[in-house]
Amino acid sequence: MGRDAVWWRVAWRNLWRNRGRTLITASGLAFGYLAAVLIVGLTDGMSAELAENGTRLLVGHVQVHADGYLPERSMYRTLGDAAGVDVQALLRRVDAHPGVVAAAPRVYGGGLVSSGEQTKAALLLGVDPQRELRVSNLVSNVVDGRLPDEGAYEVLLGTELARQLQVEVGDELVLVAPAADGSMGNDLYTLVGIVRTGSPGLDANYALLSFSRLQQLMALTPERIHEVVLTMEDPWAAPTLASALSSELEPAFGSVSVEPWTELRPELFEYLTLADAVNFVIVIVIFGMAVFGVANTMLIGTFERRQEFAVVRALGTTPSGVGRTVVYEGIILGTLALIAGALITTPLFVWWHNSPPDLTGLTSGFSLGGSQWRPILRVEYSLDAPIISAVALLLTAIFAAVYPAWKATRVPPADALAGR
Amino acid sequence: MFGRLEDFEREARAMIHRPAPGVLRTTLARFVLVVLMGFPAVAPAVAQDATSRERAREIIDRVDRLLRGESSRGRVTMEIATEHWSRSVEMEVWSLGTEYSLVRVLAPPREAGTATLKADQEVWNYLPRVDRSIKVPPSLMMGSWMGSHFTNDDLVKESRIVDDYDFDITFEGARDGVPVWEFLLTPKPEAPVVWGRIEEQVRQRDLMPTWVRYYDEDGDLVRTLTFSDYREMGGRLVPARSLVVPADKPGEETRLIYHELVFGVDLDAGFFSLRNLRARR
Repeated sequence: MGRDAVWWRVAWRNLWRNRGRTLITASGLAFGYLAAVLIVGLTDGMSAELAENGTRLLVGHVQVHADGYLPERSMYRTLGDAAGVDVQALLRRVDAHPGVVAAAPRVYGGGLVSSGEQTKAALLLGVDPQRELRVSNLVSNVVDGRLPDEGAYEVLLGTELARQLQVEVGDELVLVAPAADGSMGNDLYTLVGIVRTGSPGLDANYALLSFSRLQQLMALTPERIHEVVLTMEDPWAAPTLASALSSELEPAFGSVSVEPWTELRPELFEYLTLADAVNFVIVIVIFGMAVFGVANTMLIGTFERRQEFAVVRALGTTPSGVGRTVVYEGIILGTLALIAGALITTPLFVWWHNSPPDLTGLTSGFSLGGSQWRPILRVEYSLDAPIISAVALLLTAIFAAVYPAWKATRVPPADALAGR
Repeated sequence: MFGRLEDFEREARAMIHRPAPGVLRTTLARFVLVVLMGFPAVAPAVAQDATSRERAREIIDRVDRLLRGESSRGRVTMEIATEHWSRSVEMEVWSLGTEYSLVRVLAPPREAGTATLKADQEVWNYLPRVDRSIKVPPSLMMGSWMGSHFTNDDLVKESRIVDDYDFDITFEGARDGVPVWEFLLTPKPEAPVVWGRIEEQVRQRDLMPTWVRYYDEDGDLVRTLTFSDYREMGGRLVPARSLVVPADKPGEETRLIYHELVFGVDLDAGFFSLRNLRARR
């Protein structure tokens, strides 16, 4: 290392012999770094929003059903089959599973919601309102009134359904649903709240009540629920957690089927996986272009120094020593560019993250795989983007130096000194 | 699965609209025609030189004319068997022509008083528990009626069968020693019907139907309606029992058994009102 240190010093000094050129090359790399991190940050932001919206509204990260409940959603296929399960025990078990943030029970039914002259077909969703708040955004945006109390004859309607029924908070509603015993379940309820989920399909179709009341309406015993939905700290760990949870629940709660959101929303998952792959392509393209720019500059630098190389060679330096200085120049250049890049990227990134440009006025966003994307150019913090870009930048600088370094080792001392 | 939101909407719709296992879409006209009234016990004198289509049409027209303005009252037991439950419902049924009918549940006690009114192409349900009458919305017309293998739509399709279908005689002769006609009913091109075709067998001797088979647009059998226990009721020969078997749900069926049936009851259109739907008797 002692002898090596000399070459590092030589490389360092060489870099600053043409200060302007070095600074321009370093800034090129630094801006490449900025571009790579921001673009990856933007696609990450878009992916994060799609994943969040795609799971947060209704699906959650993992769902637990009786085996065979999906895709038919027969009302008879409750967890634990006809006997049902101890709902509270099941929820405690799921809650306690490592990585689970919150879990909530659900009962699904189809039926009629009627008020006065108006009657509409609706999806009846039985939930535990307080638990539901923690796993989804289904009930988080109550625009009028409040959530139903657990066990009360109270209903929450989507905005559009409430509008079609011409009802207001405080009005009386009749719910009618085919019951599990073949009869036509019906009862009176009070409309206590109106909710806007942002999804037109949901807002126009669903009526929500406490799951115990829906069980009663559908002649299901309190042990019979259709679904437990849960959210996790790390949504990307959903497939692993799902299989672990499945084997944990199986002995105690009958044949269950535990589906992660990656299976429940395959198209969304595929898109996100693709977006991730595209990130790599972006980084490769950006630095791939940079490689040639940097290599070109360094090549010129080595040609300019042909005679110097010849001199040091003539003084007894090995060809590899000469080559090393050039590579070291590349490494130092890359490191400088990386520091500069980090210095300009960090504040811009933080600022962008905190006040993302809102293009709502220009475009209305889009829906992909059923998940809404608002036209807000959010950049997402991630470890990947800066690290991958940093590695790419350093590799670029080193690769760019390799060819000039090889050329430098090939300088024939006598010819070069003779000016040939 | 409630995957994408579009899926959610589609599933929500499907869950709501999914009819009882094995959809039955007999028209009330058929229902009344063959179940409630029976065919007239007089074989029509059909011109032998007419074409098959004209003769078929003539037979059906005679039946149709006899039904117009006819009023009836009856007591029926409906026995429903599905994969998950079986139940038996006692009902009282009033009808006037093919336009009006009123069905009120007598038993089981928990559901007694529940009633269905069909008038003016609308179906209303009265729910005694909440004391409300609810109009069945158009989106739910394909839903199960009273948990049976009939749909609400079956109640309203009226005597449109005569207008919506072309009739052909596909077989004329003896089946198991009994002379019968077999008809093929093909929907007219513009007719708003749900069936791809209907086949029906009628006994020549007394014009009693023996079976009706309903096929979807792909030509697959969807359900079969079978009649039996022909007897005199209200001075008329009727099949007292009818059985509906959905083709896609083995073991499931809905059976209708008439215990009492009288014709020429003193009823007018005013009887089939929301006020009467609600009245407890």
